[in-house]
Amino acid sequence: MFKKMIAKSMAKSPWIYHVNTGSCNGCDIELVAVLTPRYDAERFGFKLAGTPRHADIVVVSGPITSQSKERLIRTLEQVPEPKCVVSIGSCPRSCNVFKGSYSVEGPLEKYTHVDVSIAGCTPKPEAIIEGLYKAAEILAEKREAMNK
Amino acid sequence: MLDIIINTIKNAGFVLVFPGILFVSIAGLLLAGIDRKVLARMQKRKGPPILQPVYDFFKLMGKETIIPHEANKTAFLGAPIVGFVSLVVIMLFLPIAGFEAPFGIEGDLVIILYLLTIPAVALIIGGSASGSPFAGIGISREMVAMMAYELPLVIVLLSVAKVAGGDSLAFSLNTIIDAQAGGELFITKWQLIPAVLAMLLVIPAEVGTQPFDVAEAETEICEGPLVEYSGAPLAMFKLNTAIKMFIMTALFSVLFLGGINLGIEGWYGIVLNVVVLFAACAVLTILCMTLIHAICARLKIEHMFKFYWTVVTALAAISLILVWIF
Repeated sequence: MFKKMIAKSMAKSPWIYHVNTGSCNGCDIELVAVLTPRYDAERFGFKLAGTPRHADIVVVSGPITSQSKERLIRTLEQVPEPKCVVSIGSCPRSCNVFKGSYSVEGPLEKYTHVDVSIAGCTPKPEAIIEGLYKAAEILAEKREAMNK
Repeated sequence: MLDIIINTIKNAGFVLVFPGILFVSIAGLLLAGIDRKVLARMQKRKGPPILQPVYDFFKLMGKETIIPHEANKTAFLGAPIVGFVSLVVIMLFLPIAGFEAPFGIEGDLVIILYLLTIPAVALIIGGSASGSPFAGIGISREMVAMMAYELPLVIVLLSVAKVAGGDSLAFSLNTIIDAQAGGELFITKWQLIPAVLAMLLVIPAEVGTQPFDVAEAETEICEGPLVEYSGAPLAMFKLNTAIKMFIMTALFSVLFLGGINLGIEGWYGIVLNVVVLFAACAVLTILCMTLIHAICARLKIEHMFKFYWTVVTALAAISLILVWIF
């Protein structure tokens, strides 16, 4: 019974931790818009966690810069299992217009498994909510896989 | 021999089911859910479902528990349990809803006062055992916050004890409830109105909700003492906060509302009393926690300390003087 309850709760209370790896701040603002009263992601249980230890979903925005690469890897290691990685915007996907720069070491797939990738420059808040909701469902699947 | 067995089963029931673990956990988590829902409605949002804190609790139970390398393992994992146990013990002292407290003895008000500090101390122990600098800042703030709200709380309890005891001080919750039997609730006494206001302001600081959550400021010091916690111990700490909400509002209803006793005999009388008590706790939660949360930004620790040692302490002290004169 408890295992069922845990798997059910996994999809209903995903806590987000946001890592900015050299983003232009556009995606960050859209992510904040998702959490404000206008789009109200809290109705699905989303909450911004203060520390990676409390997080279920790590949201990455920005092409991975040389400065932030090490910090990103360290942050991802600190998140307890089961966890999901979500990339917001075109930058973590393909480095966007920053591709080829001497200080950009993306894309994100080089360093971790990306569960959900939300495209757009910048993606609309509706798209971000949908992507995060999909990540929450993946989270519940991962938890059930851990039981087996 | 049979007596001992029956008594043991009865006491186990007290600890595990009615005023104990099961009841207090459900009541606390529901109160926390109502708090979040009403806050969302105040901000014109739809808000999470009322069962959201229950989902959060079970989700955290299913997460991996990471113990940091520098942490002291015993203190790190033991602290949330110590806090939880002390909160359950407080429930066994509270004579709520016309139900006689299983541990009710002379002087239980003083015991509750001491037990109420233990969850905060557990947070301090757990935070300092985790070895994180954010936790270090958090626990130093928690200690200052404790000093800030303990003084007015003690003065409020003293004035209530004086009203209930008449010539002497009555530190027994049963005496306080008996003094309010027959509808003469302390909230209607004009001398105690400043004390009621002081108590309403002490509750959010004791629980650690938004404007007074200086120790756990998540946007500033990454949730302070909880920074390194994950999984089941974090779930226990979140549960402790929710239970504290219920215990502080229930303590308020014991002190000023006579513990909510409608005076109906039989088991359904107790059930009705519990429902009314929960409704009263929900109203108090909305009044003194949600409302302040919705309209205030977080205070700095020095502002919080100053506020509690001037305004709130003055309110409580006025009540104490009035009680002594009239």
